[in-house]
Amino acid sequence: MKETNYKNIYYPPGGILMWILIFLELLTFGIAIVVLVASSKENTEAFKTSANHLNTTYGAINTLFLLTSGFFMATSLQLFKSNNLKKSKLYLNLTILGGILFLLLKSVEYHEKITLGYVLGYDTFFNFYWLLTAFHVIHVLVGLVILVSLTSSIKKGKTLLEDFEASAAFWHMCDLIWLLLFPVLYLLF
Amino acid sequence: MKNKYTITYLALLVLTSTTAVFSNIFSGLKAISILILILSVLKFLLVAFNFMELKKAHPFWKVLLLIYLSVFVGVISVIF
Repeated sequence: MKETNYKNIYYPPGGILMWILIFLELLTFGIAIVVLVASSKENTEAFKTSANHLNTTYGAINTLFLLTSGFFMATSLQLFKSNNLKKSKLYLNLTILGGILFLLLKSVEYHEKITLGYVLGYDTFFNFYWLLTAFHVIHVLVGLVILVSLTSSIKKGKTLLEDFEASAAFWHMCDLIWLLLFPVLYLLF
Repeated sequence: MKNKYTITYLALLVLTSTTAVFSNIFSGLKAISILILILSVLKFLLVAFNFMELKKAHPFWKVLLLIYLSVFVGVISVIF
């Protein structure tokens, strides 16, 4: 399969539009995280107490799920480039499995927080927690829809390399956002 | 190529474990919080440059990402 010349400024891996989207997303989450940290200065102790209610083990396991999923995604794309479609699809399914496991564990965590009453509106920290993590979960859901649609297009033999690369870039973006969210929400305070 | 991804993945696992250990043992120290943030940025770079193949891209995209991360960590370190 013919690869694009990525050295051209207009053709980063995944496409220029995808990278514009990635930077906009990173900027949005980045600003929200900075505002979260700035807000913590107003009431340090309250933030610390609330952050202690989060389960770091869940956060760490979810990090592993997303990183493993990202590894499978990168491998799947590589196999697709070398025309090994059968194995590429297998790794793509493993990528999807990683995303589903992430969502399952996130649901358990959300259920626990809701049961304990740490809902949106409980305090400033939990407002940020819900908004940031839920916004990220929406991205993971959209990513999963893209990956499922990619799997079906591979079955039909209609997948273009550009589409595969753009889908992979979107999925990795979910990893990147989580890698910024996890330390700040779960570990920093 | 597949080997490159495996090495990156293993490095990510080591960094995640290190972050977890640091945060459990030395929680509450400001310097450790910043270190945790820096370790996360390293993981971010490994994903972006190796999994997303950004290292093959035009320098503009690499520099833009590095500027973003520097500003992000810098601002948080100053505020925190």
